[in-house]
Amino acid sequence: MKKKLPDELELARDLLDKQVVDRDETKMGRVDGLVLELREGKPPRVDHLEMGSAVLARCIHPRVESWVDALRRRIGVQKTGRYRVPWAAVQEIVPYQVKLDVKAAETPAFAWEHWLRDHVIAHIPRGLKGKAN
Amino acid sequence: MKTVHLELLLGRVVRDPEGKKAGRIFAVRAEPDGEDCVVTEYLLGTAAMMSRLGISAKRLLGWPIRRKPLSIPWDLLDLRDPKKPRLLCSLAELKGKKG
Amino acid sequence: MSMKKAATLALGILTSVGGFFDVGAIATSAQAGAIFRYQLLWALALGTILVVFLVEMSGRFAAVTRQALPDAIRQQFGFTSWLVPFVVLTLIHFLTLGAEIGGICFALHLLTGLPVSLWALPVAALVWLFLWRSTFSAIENSTSLLGLITLAFVVAAWRYHPPMGQVLAGMLPTLPHHEPARYGYIAVGLLGAIISPYLFYFYSSGAVEDEWDESYVAVNRGVAVIGMGFGSIISVAAIVVAAMVLAPRGIQVDDYHQAALMLTQVFPFWGFALFAVSMGIACVGAAVELSLAMAYTSAQTFGWNWGENLDPREDARFCLTYTGAILAAALLILFGVDPLKLTLFSMAINALVLPFVALPFLLLMNDRKLLGKHANGWISNAITILTLVVAIVLAVVSIPLMFLGG
Repeated sequence: MKKKLPDELELARDLLDKQVVDRDETKMGRVDGLVLELREGKPPRVDHLEMGSAVLARCIHPRVESWVDALRRRIGVQKTGRYRVPWAAVQEIVPYQVKLDVKAAETPAFAWEHWLRDHVIAHIPRGLKGKAN
Repeated sequence: MKTVHLELLLGRVVRDPEGKKAGRIFAVRAEPDGEDCVVTEYLLGTAAMMSRLGISAKRLLGWPIRRKPLSIPWDLLDLRDPKKPRLLCSLAELKGKKG
Repeated sequence: MSMKKAATLALGILTSVGGFFDVGAIATSAQAGAIFRYQLLWALALGTILVVFLVEMSGRFAAVTRQALPDAIRQQFGFTSWLVPFVVLTLIHFLTLGAEIGGICFALHLLTGLPVSLWALPVAALVWLFLWRSTFSAIENSTSLLGLITLAFVVAAWRYHPPMGQVLAGMLPTLPHHEPARYGYIAVGLLGAIISPYLFYFYSSGAVEDEWDESYVAVNRGVAVIGMGFGSIISVAAIVVAAMVLAPRGIQVDDYHQAALMLTQVFPFWGFALFAVSMGIACVGAAVELSLAMAYTSAQTFGWNWGENLDPREDARFCLTYTGAILAAALLILFGVDPLKLTLFSMAINALVLPFVALPFLLLMNDRKLLGKHANGWISNAITILTLVVAIVLAVVSIPLMFLGG
C-alpha cells in the first residue's frame, strides 16, 4: 500500500500516545512506546512502535513492568504483554492518529478484546445495535 | 542490536564532555529515508519543553517566546547510556556552530 | 437550524439532569435551604456560571477537534502525567456512581416501602440493560424527556410565593449567622456537586457520539446555556422549597426521608411520589452519565474501540468497563452504605480532584494547533482560571471541613 508519511516528523509529538488504527480505521490502542535502533556511523532509526499494558507499566516503574509480565504469564491471555509494530507496518501518520497496514483482529493488540468478546460477551444476550447510521 | 526507548529518553539531561548541562531532551526530529525513518536532530530546552503541549506558559500570559530551543544533530549525541546522554562536543562549540 | 441541531438540546438537558441536578445537588440543595434558607444561593449561582462556560468549552473542543476530552488529555500530555489524575478520578466517579445508585434505590424505597439495599441489584440490572441495549440518541432523548419531571420543584417553588427580596439577597455571598463550619461544608459540597468532571467528559464524548463538527460551535453555546440553565433553575427551586417547607420546621435533612417532605405541601396527594420520581429519574440520568463517563475515560486513555452506537461485540472492553462499574457501585448500596453519607462524601472529595481537571483543560483550550481560531478568548480563559482558583480553594478548604462540618 502507498504510504502517506509527512516529510518531517517529531517522534514525541506525532507518534507517542497517539491513537493507532488499522486498515479499516478500527481503533487498536495507542502508541505506548517507541524503540530506536542505535547504529555505528549512521543516524538512529525507528525500529518499532510498542503497544500494550506492559509498556505502560514501565512508564510507572521498570519493576511494575516485571510484575505485569508475571501476572500475565499466570493468566495466559496473550503470549506477550507488548505488541511490537515494525516501522514498515506504519502506513499513514496524520495529526493525532497513526494508521497501520494490518487488520486489528489479526494482531495481538486485540487479544484481550477478542477474549472478552468470546468468553464474556458471548454469554450475554444482546439485541443488535449495529452502527446507528 | 542496541536499542533505546524514546519515552525513557525524553526529559533526560544532556551534558557535554566537561559535565556542563546543555538542557533536557524534549523532542526528537526524524524523517523518512526509504523504508526507514531516521533521526535528524534532538531538541533541548526547558521552557521549550512546553511546546510539546502546543503552547507555552509564557504565551498563555501573553509574552512572546524569545528563546529558540537548542538543537543537536544526530551525530553529536552519544546514547550508549540512555540515562546519561552525552554531547560529543563541548557546549560552547555547539552554540558556536549555530552561529 | 436543522432538526438534527435542534435535537442537540437533548444532550444538553440529559447532561444537566444527570450532571447538574443529581443526588448530590438534591442533597446539598435540600440541606442548604433547610439550614441556611436562601443564604447559599450564591454558591449555586457561581457554580452555574462556571459550569455553563466549562460545558461550552467542552462542546466546542469536541466539535472542532472531533475528539473527547480524555482522548485529548492522554494524547497531549502523555500517560505518565495523566496516570495519577486518571486513577483518582476513576475512584471518585466510582463512589459518586454508588451515591447515584443509592439515590435510585431510595426513590424506589419511598414509592414501595421496600428497603433501600434490596433495590441495589435490580437497579443495577436496569441501568446496565439500558446502556447495553440502547444507542446513544435513544439514551439522550428518553432521559431528557423524563427529566422534565424535575420541573415539579419549579412549580412548587413558584406556588410557595417565596420572599423574592431574600431570594435575590441570597445570590450575593454573605457570612452565616450560625454553624460556619457546616455552612462551609455545604457550600463546598454544592460547588463540588455542580462542577463535576464527569459532566465535561460525558458531554464532550457525547458530542463525539452525536458526530458534531465545527458547524455545531454556535448551537453548542445555546445548548450549554439552556441545558445547564435548566439544571440550575431546578436546583434553585429545590433550595427555595427547602427553605419554605423544611427550615420553618427546623428539619435539617439528616436523612433523605426528611428531604422527601419538600413537595408535600404544594402537592398534598402526589408530593411524596413526585419527589421520589424526580429524584429517581435525576439519579438514573446521573448513573448513566457516570458509568459511561468512566467507560469513555478508560477507553480513550488506552485507545480501545468505544461508542454506545456500536454493538457490544465490537467494543468489549468499553462495555465491560461500564458493566463492572455499575455492578461494583451497586455492591456498595447492597452492603448497606448509607446513600446520603456516601453522597456528601463523594461531593467533598470531588472538590479535591478538580484542580487536576481544570489545569489540563485550561492548557487544551488554549492550544491553537488543535483549535485554531476557536481557541479560548480572554473571557473563557478568565472563567477557567477562576474555576482553577475556586477548585484549589475548595480542595484546600474541604479537608478540614470534612471533619468539622460533616
